[in-house]
Amino acid sequence: MANKILGHFLRSRPSMMMFKRWESSEPEKRVTIHDPFYSQPQKNKETYLEVVKMFEGRDNRRRGHVEFIYAALARMKEFGVQKDLEVYKALVEVLPKGKFIPKNIFQAEFMHYPKQQQCAVDLLEQMEDNKVMPDTEMEQMLLNIFGARGIPLRKFWRMMYWMPKFRNLSPWYLPEQLPNDTTELAKLAIQRITSVDPDTKIEIWQTEEIEASLDKTWVVSAQSEAQKILLAEQPTDDPLVVKGPFNIYLREQVVNYFLLIGKIRPEIKDNTDPDDVSNIEKPRGIPGLIGTTTLPAVRQTVHEQDDGTIVSVCATGTSSRDSLLSWIRLLEKYGNPQLSSIPVIFTLTAPPSEMAIQETQPAIKDSQEKEESRI
Amino acid sequence: MALCKLNTFINVIRHNTPNPILCKSLTKTNSVGYCKPLLVGSQRWLFHESSRKGGYETEHKISNFQHLKNGFKELKDELKLFKEEVKELIITDPLLVARPGETDMIWCFNEPSKLESFTTTCDSDHNEGFSKCSFDMSSAGRGLFHGYLDTRVPKDGRIKKAGYCAMRSKRVRKSFKRAGTYDWHLYNTLVLKIRGDGRSYLLNISCEGFYDITWNDIYHYVLYTRGGPYWQIAKIPFSKFVLGSKGRLQDKQTRFRFDRVTHFGISCGDKIVGNFDLEIEYIGLEFDPTHNEEFAYEMYKTDKYIVGV
Repeated sequence: MANKILGHFLRSRPSMMMFKRWESSEPEKRVTIHDPFYSQPQKNKETYLEVVKMFEGRDNRRRGHVEFIYAALARMKEFGVQKDLEVYKALVEVLPKGKFIPKNIFQAEFMHYPKQQQCAVDLLEQMEDNKVMPDTEMEQMLLNIFGARGIPLRKFWRMMYWMPKFRNLSPWYLPEQLPNDTTELAKLAIQRITSVDPDTKIEIWQTEEIEASLDKTWVVSAQSEAQKILLAEQPTDDPLVVKGPFNIYLREQVVNYFLLIGKIRPEIKDNTDPDDVSNIEKPRGIPGLIGTTTLPAVRQTVHEQDDGTIVSVCATGTSSRDSLLSWIRLLEKYGNPQLSSIPVIFTLTAPPSEMAIQETQPAIKDSQEKEESRI
Repeated sequence: MALCKLNTFINVIRHNTPNPILCKSLTKTNSVGYCKPLLVGSQRWLFHESSRKGGYETEHKISNFQHLKNGFKELKDELKLFKEEVKELIITDPLLVARPGETDMIWCFNEPSKLESFTTTCDSDHNEGFSKCSFDMSSAGRGLFHGYLDTRVPKDGRIKKAGYCAMRSKRVRKSFKRAGTYDWHLYNTLVLKIRGDGRSYLLNISCEGFYDITWNDIYHYVLYTRGGPYWQIAKIPFSKFVLGSKGRLQDKQTRFRFDRVTHFGISCGDKIVGNFDLEIEYIGLEFDPTHNEEFAYEMYKTDKYIVGV
């Protein structure tokens, strides 16, 4: 009997029970989505805050504030405000004060208003992902909303414990705001690469100085005195090699750089026995006292890596072959006359401008299934 | 026919009244393929962990007979290993002091066979993202951990974030497939000779224990790379490593047990989309007598039931 009733219940048309209220004869009158973020003509911080203000002013009871905050968090990148603490504060301000504070131990223990607490935690997490550090004002706001026993407060305190510890940990300092100018960015990158040798001089040249150049662009080139000497000592019959482009990341910015690499000097093998006293040589000299003060001829420098001697590092505006040719000519002009007699080989992979990054998401499951079915 | 109706009914419920209890009971009663989207949101079982892999099992199931056959094949090598172990126990005296300032290499990637002690994983392995990575020999003859990090999230409605690549050493073991641990108690500094691309990487030291509560304990620290063609030597004291479980930093921090290390790994997940290259010459250990810090992170006394909950 019960089965019969249930079967009848299930067999009756669901549209009769559920859809009737929403159905309309005219399709234009059906429910549409209102998205205040979408309708903004300009996407910037002012308009973003305007939408938040609009939501606050629309309804005293602020119905749907959790949904609004989630929608607003998802739109942050679009408006370019994902790194702005003020905007996050404005979103926290949307939550009502006092209502979510637990009043007894049971409420405190069993997560009072879980949706709202989770929403605030997700907001804090997005701040963390975007490397935005909260401040004490934010703490006060969260205390007023959730009370000292709230989960968002715990998240906040954890953030305030860890984030300052890791904020300035990197041994290679980068300014808060990376420069927009590509030349300045390339200079920062080359500075970072050549920080191994404090003697390195970084120079910015224009390729227009070379008459034969086709690309009119800039070259950021770095060379130290030691590298100049190493280049001068290169054998003239063995070619130097220009290698690249290699990537260096400055936060999310990528800079392409190129290397001029020479041969490694032959290792000098010292087979003399230091304990053999039968034939003691006169010491070569103690600087300032006796003998000559020149340093020994072979000296292991940092530039002599095991895959070649790095003679110079550069980044150019276009990363093209022609601009690299101009770089070699400019190196020759400024202090490396030997380059006119040493051949240089360019072993470059395809210029980076010809690379394409796949934009669309490859379908994961469907394509695999299709392939399997074909097999 | 009735099933069909039931499904439309479920759809109605899904769209109009998101009642989780009802949805769950309904999914139990019908066995149609698309009960899956009803269970939106990740479900966590917080009482215990059922497997060390945490649901990412990739092992092939083989029959008991096949298992037995494989076991017999490996018996000879295992016995050899056991013989070596006994020999070592009798002959060698344990090392009591590490030479200060000298680096003892654990892994030196100078030939292709040395790379086999590491495995790589990335999110595309389990259809959870689009990153790719591998650990090969570089043109300079060193280990090269490289790939493409992609933070795009697959549109399956389940995954919120994506983008990681990782390499991890294989579990150290004794004869007869007994799990062993690295004993690093003589040392206090991790030394890496690397050549990176300016990105920051994460060093992971796993200390899995017997109980499931420790299976996901990994001690982390950041490895900053300079970038460029010059090699750099990074020395990181053990005291700096912070405890995380499943990637979340824990409130109650301790330094790791130096004699209970099970895995060492490096991962790349800095949310920057693009290619990454990390060339590694060696990973070693050093005893630095001037470093007498026990643990780098101070702990505070808080109200009851705030920390560790």
